[in-house]
Amino acid sequence: AAAGLCPCRALLARRGGALRALCGSVRGLAAGQETHFGFQTVTEAERREKIYQVFESVAKKYDVMNDSMTLGIHRVWKDILMHKMNPSPGTLLLDVAGGTGDIAFRFINYVRSVREHQLQRKLKHHQNLSWQEISESYQEDKFKLLGDSRVVVCDINKEMLKVGKQKAQHLGYSEGLSWVLGDAEELPFDDDKFDVYTIAFGIRNVTRIDLALQEAYRVLKPGGRFLCLEFSHVSNPLLSRLYDLYSFQVIPVLGEIIAGDWKSYQYLVESIRRFPPQEELKAMIEDTGFLKVDYQNLNSGIVAIHSGFKL
Amino acid sequence: AASGGGQGQGQGQGSGSGSGSGSARRQPLEPSLLRFLVCPLSKRPLRYEESTNELINEELGIAYPIIDGIPNMIPEAARTTRKKPPAEDSKQP
Repeated sequence: AAAGLCPCRALLARRGGALRALCGSVRGLAAGQETHFGFQTVTEAERREKIYQVFESVAKKYDVMNDSMTLGIHRVWKDILMHKMNPSPGTLLLDVAGGTGDIAFRFINYVRSVREHQLQRKLKHHQNLSWQEISESYQEDKFKLLGDSRVVVCDINKEMLKVGKQKAQHLGYSEGLSWVLGDAEELPFDDDKFDVYTIAFGIRNVTRIDLALQEAYRVLKPGGRFLCLEFSHVSNPLLSRLYDLYSFQVIPVLGEIIAGDWKSYQYLVESIRRFPPQEELKAMIEDTGFLKVDYQNLNSGIVAIHSGFKL
Repeated sequence: AASGGGQGQGQGQGSGSGSGSGSARRQPLEPSLLRFLVCPLSKRPLRYEESTNELINEELGIAYPIIDGIPNMIPEAARTTRKKPPAEDSKQP
């Protein structure tokens, strides 16, 4: 796009006025529509760049900040998401904007424990087998403890993926886990591939939500499920006031103290306010073609889980 | 009715032969990923080129790099393959 603008600049140098205005709008088109970055108005290109920088900056402190800001409650929200998903062994999950791996690790834990319970039940029914036979059946199942379950973590930010991969190594997750650097608006995955698509605290940072939703629809198998966990809107006025106070007075300060980055957390708080409320997001998901779209408020709407199916 | 929080400190029962040496520059791409990955622009299949550790879209003539085992599927990061890469002679470390 930049190459195309160069002749424009050369022309500008010679003539002014109308041409300048014309090239200005062309540049505007090239850089994209006007959109928002928190409470600022920026072009789409600027927004993408700024958001990339936010996450590049916070990546190493991302988990610590999540714990501090939400007093650890984000862990519960993510657990609830996993229970809602209730994946069975053999599930193929695409976790978009999954950066540091919180959802992916939970998925692996969940599927493993489901498998273990299945095995235990199976063993209980094999009371009349010899020890030889039991140990053999246990052996072959043990190697497939994860079954064919796989999770692909896709994120647009290199730093976040790096942190995620390191965490995985540190915590001992290796099987059934893949990392891909990709754009939610332009996924590098084939059609009709995944059983579940999740995006946890990520869709807020996507510039073209409609494109991300379309891509989600495309890559899901028929029958597949879309799950979105995101900050949403609190309707209760008193709670809303307290939430605002906490958000604008405490969070950026925490950001400065813990991550040395006030601005990124100011952006975070503003972006939450700019994000569409529950019903509006539900409508967008329905417009994409998803059916049985619903949402569940957590903590009075501070967070919401939206769900839809490709049927 | 939230379940006891905490991320499971589930220890991976991986194959045990973990890629411990993080110093391996050229980490191989997980072969099963190739089943899912396509070019983000054309959504067409890709070919894995071992010598350059890239995923090639022959039709469009672009190559996506794989760094530290992670494929970089952002279109801006891809390089065009129309000309033969000059680094053909020199050994890549």
